[in-house]
Amino acid sequence: MAAAKKLMSVRRDWRERDVRVVLAALIIAVATVATIALFASQLQRTLVSSASSFLAADRQLEAENGRPIPDAWLQEAADQGLKTGRMVEFSTMVFGDENFQLVSVKAVSNEYPLRGDIEIQRNPTGTRELVNQGPGPGEVWINPRLLRLLDLEVGESLEVGNLNLTVSGLLIREPDGGFRLSALAPRVMMHVDDVAATGVIQEGSRVEYVYLFAGDEAALESYYQWLEPRLEPSHEWAGVRDGETFSRSLERAERFLLLGGSLAVLLAAVAVAVASRQYALSQRDTVALLKTLGLSGAGIGGLYLKRLALWGVTGIVGGLLVAMPLYWLLIHMLSQVLERPVEFQLDPSALVPALLTALVSLFAFAYPPVRRLRNVPAMRVLRSQPGETGREALPDMIIAIVAVFGLVWMYAGELALVVSLLGGLALLLGALGLVGWLLVATLRKVRGGGNAWRLALVGLYRHRRASLSQIAVFAMTLMLAATLILVRTSLLTDWQAQLPDDAPNHFLINIAPEAVEDVDSFWQERGQPLDKLYPMVRGRLTELNGQPVKETVSKDENVNALNRELNLTWMSALPDDNEIVEGAWFGENQKEGVSVEAELAGKLGLSLGDELTFTIGSEKVTEAVTSIRTVQWDSMKPNFYMAFPPEGGLTEMPATWITSFYLPKDKKDALNEFSRQFPTVSVLEIDHVIERIQEIVRQVTQAIEAILALILAAALVVMAAVVSATLQDRQREGALLRTLGGRQRLLVRSTMLEFALLGGFAGVLGVVAAEAAVWALQFRMFEGTFQWHWHVVLPIPIVSAVVLALFGRWQLRPVLSVSPMLLLRRLE
Amino acid sequence: MNQMTNVNPDSQSPMLRVDNLTHRVSVETDTLTILQGVTLEINRGESVAIVGRSGSGKTTLLGLLAGLDTPSEGTVELDGSVISKLSEDERAKLRAHRVGFVFQSFQLLPALTALENVMLPLELAGMASPEKRARELLERVGLGERLTHTPRQLSGGEQQRVAIARAFASEPLILFADEPTGNLDNRTGQAVSDLLMALNREQGTTLVMVTHDEHLAARCNRQFHIEAGVLSEPEAAQEMAH
Repeated sequence: MAAAKKLMSVRRDWRERDVRVVLAALIIAVATVATIALFASQLQRTLVSSASSFLAADRQLEAENGRPIPDAWLQEAADQGLKTGRMVEFSTMVFGDENFQLVSVKAVSNEYPLRGDIEIQRNPTGTRELVNQGPGPGEVWINPRLLRLLDLEVGESLEVGNLNLTVSGLLIREPDGGFRLSALAPRVMMHVDDVAATGVIQEGSRVEYVYLFAGDEAALESYYQWLEPRLEPSHEWAGVRDGETFSRSLERAERFLLLGGSLAVLLAAVAVAVASRQYALSQRDTVALLKTLGLSGAGIGGLYLKRLALWGVTGIVGGLLVAMPLYWLLIHMLSQVLERPVEFQLDPSALVPALLTALVSLFAFAYPPVRRLRNVPAMRVLRSQPGETGREALPDMIIAIVAVFGLVWMYAGELALVVSLLGGLALLLGALGLVGWLLVATLRKVRGGGNAWRLALVGLYRHRRASLSQIAVFAMTLMLAATLILVRTSLLTDWQAQLPDDAPNHFLINIAPEAVEDVDSFWQERGQPLDKLYPMVRGRLTELNGQPVKETVSKDENVNALNRELNLTWMSALPDDNEIVEGAWFGENQKEGVSVEAELAGKLGLSLGDELTFTIGSEKVTEAVTSIRTVQWDSMKPNFYMAFPPEGGLTEMPATWITSFYLPKDKKDALNEFSRQFPTVSVLEIDHVIERIQEIVRQVTQAIEAILALILAAALVVMAAVVSATLQDRQREGALLRTLGGRQRLLVRSTMLEFALLGGFAGVLGVVAAEAAVWALQFRMFEGTFQWHWHVVLPIPIVSAVVLALFGRWQLRPVLSVSPMLLLRRLE
Repeated sequence: MNQMTNVNPDSQSPMLRVDNLTHRVSVETDTLTILQGVTLEINRGESVAIVGRSGSGKTTLLGLLAGLDTPSEGTVELDGSVISKLSEDERAKLRAHRVGFVFQSFQLLPALTALENVMLPLELAGMASPEKRARELLERVGLGERLTHTPRQLSGGEQQRVAIARAFASEPLILFADEPTGNLDNRTGQAVSDLLMALNREQGTTLVMVTHDEHLAARCNRQFHIEAGVLSEPEAAQEMAH
């Protein structure tokens, strides 16, 4: 079957333009989806490991009850292949030569930190260096501020309890410098083996034992399964994703990547659909001839099915070959951004979406028009037959749309995304129907003439079917690209808004009620006014409607808030960034009730009127839920799960005050004076944390930009594919026009105008549909507020008009350079 | 040369029998009658020309006779099989083994060489070594030197000779030709029709040809005229036939 085999060979296929487009679309689809999936999975691992360094581990176990955990627990972790480390945190007085100071001590084992690095200076003028181990026994590293507070030099000794330790370095940044309330006073870091000798920790001392765990996700999960039944209420198991500030940014970045991947899937499907339909049309003469020569419908079906399978294999292999260097490039870029090597890791599961994309594109989009080839009448060899009507293709289109959205759903795991995109596309198709009708209605009246504008408009009308389908594909492509651009812009704006340059970077905690005014004026005088001050009472939520809360809440919900003391407050006005979702805020003289944060209320299954009982010291306070409100946890301001009205349930309770404010780097020395003047007030410095978050946001932004560029490139290829679908007709027409005496300049101008009009139309439609999709996406996926982005999207119709005009010009090349006669004969 | 294996045992029966064939097509809201009550019989080994002006329905008739299309009414019986009652696949099988075609626009596959184009129907008919036969035929039509050329590299006359070689490759019982010289200049057309007639004689094939070339038509045993869908056989031609 040499001749028949040759008819099916990919090498021969490659010589056919439409097949080249199908194969290119498949290769690009597989390459884009595989690159994004591989990179997203690598990025996620990298970000989690970056973020893990906020915990100095992958997981932490905190014992707030002042007792170490049993050794067996650590042994079990080691047995399960996890790395472990230990820390003890407590507050104590330390003594220099003459001065003393309340400090927050962190004693660490040799393994600390399991993730991330410690930044230190060997002396006040030395360079900063990153180390991956804490101070050795007998040594101590201290906060530079403490050096001045205690009038100490590096190399001198510091008295901690009964023990003298040598100051061997200055602690600039610790990887897990989070928001823990024990980390209040200036930090001192020492070796955990020295703790016993200090004699500081006595029965009943307030001390936290913290355990670090690192290892692969499966081992961590299996260890937690083992550990969970053994945990007591005072134990807290924390992972990177548990409500830390940056985890939201991380989730959004991940979703963005998935959205990008989904759009790549859609673009690929569009390209494959367009090209294979074109291919099927071009094959009709061949099929008619084969039928005339005696090949049966089944034989023709089989012939083309084999061919599709060959394309599939070629597309997948080719796509992966393209994906690898791209992925390598992104990894290289990521490691440059992170300033550390990132492993080139091939996660086989990340390749599954790419393979599925290729198969679904082929069998849902390419196969139907090819399958319909078997219905081509043999009579076509004698006389051209009417082409297929759209009606025959309708069921196939429905199947294809369902298939591709199923794929996107599986890929992104978000119904909201699928529905938003589907809605945007539906809107687009509706608008397109309208535009089509208008096009036919208005352009019908235009008569040809020697003018480029008229020729362009007549051209649009003459090619109205092709024009409309091209507008449809361009608009869809532009919508997908615009959606991505819009989401990226709003994502970045949100992040910047969330962490402005003057975001509060210091907390003042434990301000005695009588010191509130003095503290306020201290910072007022130094030009660094405090944000709002809030009273704070520590208490545990113990009962819900009279039942112990641990019994009423489902075991499946891991509610950390129940495992520790909560910060309770009272306030008269709702903070600006809080929002009531249920019930009403406290009335003017209202003294009853409590307002609960929405997420916690959801986890506990609370509704208005439920009675909550708090245990504060030895007292119990019971209040009914009067409102549920959302809180911006990432605002870097004091936030509270529970808010009471002024003079409400908390009035009699012992309260301290808390506030946050922005302190620029060059004014940090003022903290020394403050600590001296208000020794009991704790200063929580989170400026390093904020810097780290900003750094992560920067990394993610870079990755997003890279993926955006990839998608835009894919979109451009789709557009080129669509334009080249009508290449021959256009060239034949151009040659005819020239034969009939059309001047070259007129031809060029009218063609470019016609394409520019196509591009402009499609651009406007695409942008409107994208705004609609983003509007829908914004609510569910990215939790931002929607606004119009005309300044962002306005260039899109213009760019698409220009790009298409250039495509049009490019198509005309042979028409202008070759004699029309030759061209007509060649196109015969 | 195993032509006899394909022949209906009753070799005296006509090769093609058409009874009251009518064909209509619907155009928007209207129905057009293209062919009206066509009846004819063509014997084995005869050569027949169907002559008529453009739009008279001759190509439609050819398509129906060859089983490329099905009529609105009436029957077409080809070599004993009522093809108007066969399914599309059954008709395809019939074509593969008993029918050959030559088209006005040659209809060669542009991606295949001359040799491969001729091999294709042999392969489709399941012949074990089609290349030898294809070579022989191409040599017979004078293209022995052009085996590896693609249609694009051949002139119109050469392309039609490849098409004729392809048509005779599977040793059809009946050959349908649609304006075989329509796209060729006079001299080339003459050469191509000489070849067609010669091969037809050599193989004893029944030939049904649609043409408006009177000279070519005159070389056939019988001539039919078609006008506005109605077929008629001039008396002189009838006498010649009988």
